[in-house]
Amino acid sequence: MANTAEAEAVDFEPEEDDLMDEDGAIEAEPSPHAPLPKLKSAITGGSFSGPDLSAPPKKTKGRGFRDESDAAADRNKRFADKDFDSLFSDGGPGPQRSIEGWIVLVTGVHEEAQEEDLQNTFGEFGEVKNLHLNLDRRTGFVKGYALIEYENFKEAQAAISTMNGAELLCQTISVDWAFSNGPFKRRNTRRRSPRGHRSRSPRRRY
Amino acid sequence: MAAAEEQGEFYLRYYVGHKGKFGHEFLEFEFRPDGKLRYANNSNYKNDTMIRKEVFLTPAVLKECRRIISESEIMKEDDNNWPEPDRVGRQELEIVMGNEHISFTTSKIGSLVDVQSSNDPEGLRIFYYLVQDLKCFVFSLISLHFKIKPI
Repeated sequence: MANTAEAEAVDFEPEEDDLMDEDGAIEAEPSPHAPLPKLKSAITGGSFSGPDLSAPPKKTKGRGFRDESDAAADRNKRFADKDFDSLFSDGGPGPQRSIEGWIVLVTGVHEEAQEEDLQNTFGEFGEVKNLHLNLDRRTGFVKGYALIEYENFKEAQAAISTMNGAELLCQTISVDWAFSNGPFKRRNTRRRSPRGHRSRSPRRRY
Repeated sequence: MAAAEEQGEFYLRYYVGHKGKFGHEFLEFEFRPDGKLRYANNSNYKNDTMIRKEVFLTPAVLKECRRIISESEIMKEDDNNWPEPDRVGRQELEIVMGNEHISFTTSKIGSLVDVQSSNDPEGLRIFYYLVQDLKCFVFSLISLHFKIKPI
């Protein structure tokens, strides 16, 4: 650690990398709160996120940008609190178990799909413990996604493997995990040596 | 694969709240660029506990969130002619998508009557429905993951 060469070497260490640089790479600052000014600077400016692609300045719009300072202060305070509850996670990649099972997201669902259609299709992989088929508030038709809960990992995995890319009511659907054990990285903020397969493999299918 | 929804920066925050007899009561959620969803609900009425939850989402979920936003075309709107936040309450919707960053504020909207009687019914209607669709999405995610009733 005494000289820069070594410090850089540490920087390239894949294990450390995967766990440690999330905030740095994405938000430029490992700050838990995202108040307005900080967000702006983090995304457009970026402090120590390294030689980022020259991100074009954002077009901004709205009264929120010329807010009274107490509203902004309020906002900072609300998200400054660190005690947000979460379920146990090892921080690694891969799907995260929810409190009573495994949740799968289905997208590309036909707007006239019925709960029954999903029950029938997804019930083949195990008992569907919970199904949310939310509606578009304006049209009353299905919004386009469904959330399905299975009790076991295996059932959920089988549903994903079999149904991702399959057809349901003449529409191609995508099926994937809903929750993850840790943050993901955006491809175009990669700034280091090529990543290991660990962080990339779980998001290949969608 | 490289659909428009997948590209570029993404951030979303929605807040609705007011300060009154029971203190500062609000509901807020945030989708962060690294996939973290944060949800906070503070009501001092009846039980005065603050619910604060966070969970990491997969890119698939964020992609769906982006789709909902793109299809609403909210990024084309402007809050210039929307009712200003007032004593009754305040809503804030902040979205970063691609190279656009909106931060809209308005009052609480009780129903479509408020939308119709505003100076920008078309724009406000888009906001009104988008917020409901987003809330619905977030409530499903939070309630399935934590098994709580988020409201």
